[in-house]
Amino acid sequence: MKIGSMFKDILKSFFSAPVTETYPLKKPQTAKRFRGRLHFDPVKCTGCNLCSKDCPAYALEVIILDRAAKRFVVRYNIDRCAYCGQCIQSCKFKCITMPNDDWELAALDTEKFTAYFGKDEDVARVLENPTPSAPLKEE
Amino acid sequence: MTTETLLQRATELLAPFSKGNTTPETNRLDVQIDANDLPAATSALISNSWGYLSAITPMDLGAEANKLEAIYHFCEGAAVTSLRIQLPREDRPRIPSISNLIPVASFFERELGEMLGVDVVGTPDSSRLFLPDDWPDGVYPLREEFSIEQATPVEPHETLPEFGRTGNKFTVPIGPQHPALKEPGHFEFSVDGEVITGARMRLGYVHRGMEKATQERNWIQNLYLLERVCGICSHTHTSAYAYGVEKLAQVEVPLRALAIREIIAGLERVHSHLLWLGVAAHEAGFDTLFMYSWRDRETVMDLLEELTGNRVNYSITVLGGVKHDITAENSHSIHTALDYLEERIRHYLNIVTTDTTFLQRTRGIGTMNLDEAKHFGALGPTARASGLVRDVRIDSPYGAYHHFPVSIVTDERGDLEARFVVRMKELLVTCFTIRTIVDNMPAGELTTRFPRKIPAGETISRVEAPRGEAFYFIKSGGGENPVRVKIRTPSLCNWTSVLNKAVGHQLADVPMLIAGMDPCFSCNDRMITVRRKDDSQTLSWSQMREYGIKKYAAMREMK
Repeated sequence: MKIGSMFKDILKSFFSAPVTETYPLKKPQTAKRFRGRLHFDPVKCTGCNLCSKDCPAYALEVIILDRAAKRFVVRYNIDRCAYCGQCIQSCKFKCITMPNDDWELAALDTEKFTAYFGKDEDVARVLENPTPSAPLKEE
Repeated sequence: MTTETLLQRATELLAPFSKGNTTPETNRLDVQIDANDLPAATSALISNSWGYLSAITPMDLGAEANKLEAIYHFCEGAAVTSLRIQLPREDRPRIPSISNLIPVASFFERELGEMLGVDVVGTPDSSRLFLPDDWPDGVYPLREEFSIEQATPVEPHETLPEFGRTGNKFTVPIGPQHPALKEPGHFEFSVDGEVITGARMRLGYVHRGMEKATQERNWIQNLYLLERVCGICSHTHTSAYAYGVEKLAQVEVPLRALAIREIIAGLERVHSHLLWLGVAAHEAGFDTLFMYSWRDRETVMDLLEELTGNRVNYSITVLGGVKHDITAENSHSIHTALDYLEERIRHYLNIVTTDTTFLQRTRGIGTMNLDEAKHFGALGPTARASGLVRDVRIDSPYGAYHHFPVSIVTDERGDLEARFVVRMKELLVTCFTIRTIVDNMPAGELTTRFPRKIPAGETISRVEAPRGEAFYFIKSGGGENPVRVKIRTPSLCNWTSVLNKAVGHQLADVPMLIAGMDPCFSCNDRMITVRRKDDSQTLSWSQMREYGIKKYAAMREMK
């Protein structure tokens, strides 16, 4: 038995740089597969709703304005998202990406935690409507 | 003995009590018995050294059958014998206790009582284990008719037992919030001087209602819900669930995907044991070791992030496969990281077996011999440190463990030191296995087609978590949601051994004894949230500040 088996470690640590990171002074590089905030491409969407059905956190909602004209708005509740990436798997049309560099999501304003994806006029219509989750018919 | 002979033997042993046998899967035997025959049937199994009690599944068979069911699962090797007892729904169903035969049953029986409303006659402790003290009486979360509205909190009738002096003995409460506990749990140790004479525990402080919640989510959503059973062994839970559901769906998962799951499981074991090493060293007052082991753990965390995209809840498993491949670049990083880790693990193994001060806290403390380990139903490294050869990866290989087997590490001494040695050696074995898989990656697809609806049936899925066997019982009714998912995590079984072995030790050894089994409270607690009717409110930043100022002003006045 001996005393102080870790003396060597301690001496070594005197001469090495700290392993802790200096965020936010230096933004660390995340791994390639890291899942950041979700981005949605409504052009490819067919409104199959699988992403929203399989979302374990109920963070995604596909609002169908007009299925025939392929007009969809996707509402994404960032604060609910668990970043599991199941929606990417469920989407057969590759509408969803979660880029690895978009992860600084803290905000003081809760409104920033809801994102809409879709054509500008469609998003505007959804925002106007008081019950936006109900599908709307084209006038 | 082969699984067939084991099942044959169980059939013979249980023949006097059987009201009907079924074989739902090749490694399983289900025996219907009467509630009154339960102690005799249990005794027939364990007195002939047939297996250990792995879990008790409380289940409501639904309004149509109008029955409740308690299923007692016994495991031996790959064979699982389930004693199924149907109980009437009305008039407080009764079932005799088997805690005197199997100590660990006490926890399961407490769960059976509070979740399903079954009176377990003769159980040593019928107080609540998971449900909060202000949970209303007569409301059982696992009954079909349960709704969250019934769970309105009541005045807690069970007050905490009296602390302090009774005669010459003291009761020392530890937790739920206590500096020595990294997660909330409540322990009551009765002490005579500094020596412990009795121990009791209460869980449920991080209870989240997961088993119930699985019934309302579809098969895919549950994968991510169950990943959050535990923050350390998240992959264990997704894989246990995925293997079970894949069996039910009769889907063959590509070997490459299984191999990737095994790699991730191995890396998870590395990070879990290094985390544990740090925590246990910290409890012993060896904070230098804590800091260094956690620094080195970052290596494996970074590796996991590179492979899966996340540090903790990897979400790499999908039903029918995995999300990400292991590329040549990845295998290179795995080898580099393991080179460093193996060197460090050897170094730590040397420290925990040679450092004089540290050995005073571990050598000969909490010694549990082989018979005791069997009797208390210990699992995982806690059992293996007592020489009990019990590892699901070897007893009942799942996934890719047929192709890439692991070797078992045991130690005969059974004390805390042995648990350190077993875990550290296990890491070296794990690193070796990971390297073997990476160098011999089977070719193939990553995923296969998976149905949204799972055929009706029941399955049992057992997976070796870093802490021991995780047990899943999954029942499908043929729909998009499971009918019942029962989760039994290894920590729950290991508590019995710790509480019993604490008796006779110094109170100061308690943190080390608890840390020695690597407890995971969040795994244990899974159930219910209580919504109080009027206590939810949204405060703006300035309102909250105002509230804080008022509160502290009031507190100052009181002084």
